[in-house]
Amino acid sequence: MKWLMFAWKNVMRNRRRSATAMLITALGTAAVLASGGFALFTYESLEEMTARDTGHVVVAHARGFEGDEDVPLQHGLADAAALAAKFATLPGVRAVAPRMQFSGLISNGDKSAVFVGNGVVPEIDFRLRGPQMNFIAGQPPATNTPQPEVVIGNELARLMKAKVGGSLTLLATTTEGNLNAVDVVVSGIASVGVPEIDRRLVLADLASVQKLLLSDKVGTLSIYLKETTETDATAARVREMQPGLAVKSWRDLAVFYQAVRALYNRIFGILGVIMICIVLFAMSNTLGMAVVERTREIGTLRAIGTLPAEIVRNFVLEGMVIGGAGALLGMLLAGVATLFLLFAGIEMPPPPGRSAGYPLLLGFSPLLYGAATLVVIVLAAGAAWLVSSRAARKPVTEALAHV
Amino acid sequence: MSAPSCTAGCTVRLAGLRKSYRVGEARVEALKGVSLDVRGGEMVALTGPSGSGKSTLLNLCGLIDTPDAGSRELGGVVIDGLDELGLTRLRREKVGFIFQGFNLVPVMTVFDNVEYPLLLLGVSAAERRRRTMEALQRVGLEAFARRLPDALSGGQRQRVAIARALVKSPALVIADEPTANLDSTTARQIVDLLHELAHERNASVVVATHDERMSSHCDRVIHLMDGELQ
Repeated sequence: MKWLMFAWKNVMRNRRRSATAMLITALGTAAVLASGGFALFTYESLEEMTARDTGHVVVAHARGFEGDEDVPLQHGLADAAALAAKFATLPGVRAVAPRMQFSGLISNGDKSAVFVGNGVVPEIDFRLRGPQMNFIAGQPPATNTPQPEVVIGNELARLMKAKVGGSLTLLATTTEGNLNAVDVVVSGIASVGVPEIDRRLVLADLASVQKLLLSDKVGTLSIYLKETTETDATAARVREMQPGLAVKSWRDLAVFYQAVRALYNRIFGILGVIMICIVLFAMSNTLGMAVVERTREIGTLRAIGTLPAEIVRNFVLEGMVIGGAGALLGMLLAGVATLFLLFAGIEMPPPPGRSAGYPLLLGFSPLLYGAATLVVIVLAAGAAWLVSSRAARKPVTEALAHV
Repeated sequence: MSAPSCTAGCTVRLAGLRKSYRVGEARVEALKGVSLDVRGGEMVALTGPSGSGKSTLLNLCGLIDTPDAGSRELGGVVIDGLDELGLTRLRREKVGFIFQGFNLVPVMTVFDNVEYPLLLLGVSAAERRRRTMEALQRVGLEAFARRLPDALSGGQRQRVAIARALVKSPALVIADEPTANLDSTTARQIVDLLHELAHERNASVVVATHDERMSSHCDRVIHLMDGELQ
């Protein structure tokens, strides 16, 4: 405690210089925490977006993910209802959504376009997708209607000049390899925020799609969990229950998430390294000047009987005091920025390939804050050690003669 | 080279010390085989003109420099062969320093400055407090314990330095021109105090000085000239 008090007094010896180093450290820490927080928020958002889209765990036929079917649903799941009921009993499962991907042509009588559709159970799927599906008009398709209902993407609706309540025709290849058509009513127009998808998007009631494709199979079963952290455990349980089926987690299917994460990790990693260099430089500069100014004092303390290691320890403590104070201030600044953005409602422009922006928010992670503080303190201690160890080992007579 | 003044029971025993320095291309011999014994409680003045080797002898005596040749003993401990760590530990326990420029740590209070050597020795907090206050009382500065050195006069600072040197009851006190920066009244007080405390604590004191007032109060005066004792 006494040594810490001496360190504090020495830090206060040149207040302006110490304050400058502390401020640089604080800004560096805040920048790392803010950028880390932004990356964290992005990862969490993409995680949620992907998990809402695909489900946390996706189960398919053993060859269901290979994408080499000769006819639709060649590798579909035949006993989907029984499997879904089984998976629903697993701990932590929120819902199990059967899905069926299909594609073909959509026509308004005058004009046709390619669509990529999904047969879903509307009452399960639209609830789970949440804000991922932005309804511009209308509502999810109803089941058991005289004419099947569909939700189409807003871009596709524009191409087809379709409105809610309007009629369109879907043309698709059946499981037998023939063409089949069905007239559908547009129940809703929606957007997922990606124009390329909105230009092809068709969501229809699963039973109607099965009728169109002449099959009672489904493509996949999407298992939604209460907690994303349970993904791997649940996937393992499903594999154990159904070793003959292919099981993937949302992470395996999230190509965009993986790409963004890899990119951000590099960008913010480089930023972190730059910040580390700045903090290291600021601390080395401040403590280096202190060491030079106090060389004579070091000589005195050495003459009295202070060991070189004890001299270094004193400077390391000073570095830790400055670094610790800077880290604390940096955490405070980052915390204030996080809170400010939470209430400010600032929107980021849409990322490339997307039509909707997203809120600028910073994630908070005690682990990130703790790690950043620890790194800053260790850096400060390291800088102090570097600049003081040589002076501490200088011959006493030389140090005492220092002017 | 003069003969040692005592052969047994000496606190400090220096024998045949040689030390040379490189100045540019030339090698200057600062000490040419100096031998010196100092008894416990004895106050020895080292006098001589600048460049005579006073500071070198003082540094060797205070274990902050190593000789090229010769041997040293302090309090019965043979120093030859001790590494820097061993020398530092020996200084910590047995040597007190008083500098011309006081060399107090400016951010430490008077109390902290005096307490510091005890802190290094790992003395308990209560014992440190007792001994520090006792040392400050002895130099008449107990009322200034919480002050910073900058708030004191030159004489008061040197008294703090004396308290710091003597608080651990060292076997040897090295004083380098302790009265050089003081007026004659204060210098006189400092000389008396140092003399009194050295006798009281049975510490050997080696003082390098140009000051006649200082040397006249020492038990023995040794004159150095061109690296040799006269």
